Amino acid sequence: MNRILLACSSGMSTSLLVTKMQAFAKSIDEDAEIWAVGQEQAKKEMENADVVLIGPQMSFLKGELAAEAQQYGIKVEVIDMMAYGMADGEKAYKQAISLIGATS
Amino acid sequence: MFDKLSKFLIPIAGKLNNNRYLGVLRDAFMLAFPLTIFGSIMVVLANLPFLDNVLSETMLAGVQESLGSAPNATMNIASVFVVFGIGYYLAKSYQVEAVFGGAVALTAFLLLTPFFVSTESGEVVSNVLAVDRLGAKGMFLGMIVAFLSGEIYRLITQKKIVINMPAGVPPAVSQSFAALIPAVVTLSVFLILNIIVTQGFHTNLHDVIFKTVQAPLVGLGGGLPATLIAVFFIQILWFFGLHGQIIINSVMDPIWNTLSLENLQAYTSNGELPHIINKQFIEVYLVGAGGTGMTLAVLVAILLFMKSKQMKQVGKLGIGPGIFNVNEPVIFGLPIVMNPLILLPWIIAPLIVTVVSYTAMAIGLVPPPTGVTIPWTVPIFISGFLATNSIAGSLLQLVNVLIVFAIWFPFLKFIDRMNMKQEREAEQKNRAADMQAPKEKI
Repeated sequence: MNRILLACSSGMSTSLLVTKMQAFAKSIDEDAEIWAVGQEQAKKEMENADVVLIGPQMSFLKGELAAEAQQYGIKVEVIDMMAYGMADGEKAYKQAISLIGATS
Repeated sequence: MFDKLSKFLIPIAGKLNNNRYLGVLRDAFMLAFPLTIFGSIMVVLANLPFLDNVLSETMLAGVQESLGSAPNATMNIASVFVVFGIGYYLAKSYQVEAVFGGAVALTAFLLLTPFFVSTESGEVVSNVLAVDRLGAKGMFLGMIVAFLSGEIYRLITQKKIVINMPAGVPPAVSQSFAALIPAVVTLSVFLILNIIVTQGFHTNLHDVIFKTVQAPLVGLGGGLPATLIAVFFIQILWFFGLHGQIIINSVMDPIWNTLSLENLQAYTSNGELPHIINKQFIEVYLVGAGGTGMTLAVLVAILLFMKSKQMKQVGKLGIGPGIFNVNEPVIFGLPIVMNPLILLPWIIAPLIVTVVSYTAMAIGLVPPPTGVTIPWTVPIFISGFLATNSIAGSLLQLVNVLIVFAIWFPFLKFIDRMNMKQEREAEQKNRAADMQAPKEKI
């Protein structure tokens, strides 16, 4: 199962994308747990995730979160801007999967 | 050029966002948020515009008095929550027992607060705390004291100058003993400080900080020029794809929130409103119309008048969240980020709206926001009414939407035409490819 954590300022705008990503994962019959949280919560919940994606408006969090993520051996990346804006679940999901693939 | 600027801005944004003190301040204000929302609901109910037509004068006074304890117990003493919150979250950020940090900060603040009130006739009433010192008037002293006491408290705790209880003692007991020495030392510092100021200079730190720090800062922040500068930077940061509010608000919120509290205190006591700019002015008139940059007008323009597929898609995606002032789909989908064609309307429209809204309130067409807390996700029209307690507040939002619409329209039309041209070319290419494909098979 792929566990994908999305982080933005309050978890509100990113939750749009979560729904689309879940729908895409379902359409290709992949088992995925995808959820969105605010920046404070992200550090606490990343231990339950295989990868962390950040909303592009919070790109400045990458360094801090990546340092934190190192101990869990997972990757932190900023979501592709266009994929984020157009709520492109497929593109964002594939981005996440490729990052998980690169770790394991 | 944009890329270079972006590389320059991202670290600054990160520093501001990750700054310990600004982060603590943000969390501390969030602690007061649910409480002030509760107080705000009651203020709105007690002051509904048609209430004086339905109820008799004595009944209205009765209703207002009974509901009045709600704002009194929340926003009118907001400094109490903010001080506790700063002490708590600062201690937590150092991994020191947080709840004691909060309690010590609150006590330190009260140590500097006079426990008497001088009435207008010069009479001194002792054993009372002036409510305004626990609210807007004491906000800056409260913030300063909470940070100072929090720092002293955690330094002593971290230096391990604490009483350690043997293992087996219940944790609550051993924790309160561990907090003993740091708390006593921290509070002694503030007690001595207060003695020096009250005995030596015959004044109190409340009045000193209010006059020398709070009044000038709040006066500056409540003016039009400072507001325009703040709005400008919020827009610029978003243009580079960075969350402008999170970054700018962490600096401006103490000022904007204090302005709101001052307005509310005046509003509930005598119906007057000293300030035009405050937290609600920013949130209701600059965010509350579709999100940052008031993109609801942009979405309406797209849905009604634009024809390219790309724009239609953005419009459809953006309108739902846009009603609740979430506009990432527009910002990243249109896109607004790093799009030189959009830079101009993106920056200009909010600045003009700020000036128009400010002017409308300054000349008395629209009442300024009363200071009641309104979540930024409340849709347009409703938020304008709640913020100003007047339908004129809603109408001003509509005027603002029209202004944004007019400024954006020519730019959107231009981009739409470009998109359509690209889409047509892509289509022709596809068709040409389709035509060729069968030939090759033969």
